[in-house]
Amino acid sequence: MASSSQFKQLEKLGNGTYATVYKGLNKTTGVYVALKEVKLDSEEGTPSTAVREISLMKELKHENIVRLYDVIHTENKLTLVFEFMDNDLKKYMDSRIVGNTPYGFEMSLVKYFEWQLLQGVAFCHENRILHRDLKPQNLLINNKGQLKLGDFGLARAFGIPVNTFSSEVVTLWYRAPDVLMGSRTYSTSIDIWSCGCILAEMITGRPLFPGTNDEEQLKLIFETMGTPSERTWPGISNLPKYNAQHPQHLPKDLGALLQSQTREKMDLALIDLLYGLLQLNPDRRLSAKQALNHPWFAEYYQ
Amino acid sequence: MSVQETEDVGAHNNDNNDELAQSKGSKKESVLSQSLNGLSGEEEDDDDEDDDDEELEEAVPDVVLPSNFSKCPRSDLVILISRMLSFLIHINDSASRTEQYELTRFHSRVPPQISVYDYLMRMTRYSALEPAVLIASVYYIDLFSAVYPAFSLNSLTVHRFLLTATAVASKGLCDSFCTNTHYARVGGVQCSELHVLENDFLKRVKYRILPRDDNIMNCKIERQEDIFVTAHYAEGHVRGPNNGFNVLDTYYRKIIEIVGSYDSSPDKTKKAHYSMEAPHTKPDTKSSSQTQQKKRGWEGPDADFKANCTKKPS
Repeated sequence: MASSSQFKQLEKLGNGTYATVYKGLNKTTGVYVALKEVKLDSEEGTPSTAVREISLMKELKHENIVRLYDVIHTENKLTLVFEFMDNDLKKYMDSRIVGNTPYGFEMSLVKYFEWQLLQGVAFCHENRILHRDLKPQNLLINNKGQLKLGDFGLARAFGIPVNTFSSEVVTLWYRAPDVLMGSRTYSTSIDIWSCGCILAEMITGRPLFPGTNDEEQLKLIFETMGTPSERTWPGISNLPKYNAQHPQHLPKDLGALLQSQTREKMDLALIDLLYGLLQLNPDRRLSAKQALNHPWFAEYYQ
Repeated sequence: MSVQETEDVGAHNNDNNDELAQSKGSKKESVLSQSLNGLSGEEEDDDDEDDDDEELEEAVPDVVLPSNFSKCPRSDLVILISRMLSFLIHINDSASRTEQYELTRFHSRVPPQISVYDYLMRMTRYSALEPAVLIASVYYIDLFSAVYPAFSLNSLTVHRFLLTATAVASKGLCDSFCTNTHYARVGGVQCSELHVLENDFLKRVKYRILPRDDNIMNCKIERQEDIFVTAHYAEGHVRGPNNGFNVLDTYYRKIIEIVGSYDSSPDKTKKAHYSMEAPHTKPDTKSSSQTQQKKRGWEGPDADFKANCTKKPS
């Protein structure tokens, strides 16, 4: 186990909900790290977010998941030592805004990032772990163009039958419609919806469904993807917050909608993949493995 | 727990007085619990065995439990687990009488007065412990003992251990859990002490709290080699398509096998013979009448104690 004297604390990288992250230097190896400092709360003890993040990330050694190297205990705080990453996807997208106009990425970069995102997600799912908070801020990138999943504070293992599943997971914009309607039986499909939203956002530079509350979030989703019904999504009426009175919308042409916001040429395979990830009915969404085998990624697996 | 704290537990426990009296000291004072149980016609003294054999057969109901532990009534699970713990305590207490033992943070000076059953029942009720958490706390005995040789579950360590194990399991495995302040109040220790116990536990098991089949092995490797994450599984390692992700099923089955039978259990708190339904049979087709008849509904104020818990993650 490492001790805190082994690291030199450098500039602050960010403030999380339960932690502050600093850049650090490992004095023995000369390698940069990210030091996530978690205050030990006098009520809560070790925060559950830290317990989960540590216990789950120990299971996840993969090139598209940020590595947790160590945990340092001191009197009143816990320091998680992570692999250092230069940037996150949110900041990188923001840096490309010119004036007030957001720009998406070149199509080759969109594809490379989405491929890596799905690789990381597929590995989590194979290891029976749900991330439950995929969004650009939590996808870390480095100067080599690598993308890695970070922040597992909301994650959980799903192989263990536990009765309490919270539906208050995933940042609103990236939250799946079944979860918005109060489903507590979600599984891997919860992360796949987020992957679809992130893919669209990388194409256009704008969030796909930027709602401000649960209701508006569903409205935005249905306006574009069409209002689901018991016919298109058997079982939907059993969801706790299902509203049969929801205004009926016909699905829009998602491809045309996104194409109008980017100068890059979107091919049919990409649009097909988007529909596969953004299926309203969670049972019909692609799995991460299936998405990786989608023809849009043919250049990577052929 | 110190004597002082034990009194605290007693004070909090006024509402459970009848249960408390009934099974006081299930380990050593089994005489007491049996004389009390005797009111309902049960004796286990050798002399009386012949007389009461028939009565005993009749008096102990059969309870068939679902094969899926998350559907198992928690009241039954608490009985089974306290039997299991009493069984272990019985063995470890007799072993530690002959050996020198090292004190751990989990030791009380004297065995707390509240029985394992009452303590576990109390925490299950007031801290809304789920079946998975209850079974995980048994799994954590094996995990903790594997990496901490000085620790053994006995009548001095069981209370603090259970409090810590259930708090850690709730926080690590469930979406709904309480603060340490709440757990400590229910468990009868100072909150600051629970922080220390939790920290001690997490550090020693190196945060390996997921009940997976290779977890104890990996935990041992990490301790032996003093590394944070074992390199023994290669980059991109994926477990086979077995159910090695959930060793709790195995624990559930084992517990029922070992202490399901009332006769073989050292803890005589509740009368019942437990068995598990054959997997993949519908509960309705087999012994449903028995199950229904015996199924103690969870009468505790579920809604009330949920109100005390913070809904997480926030």
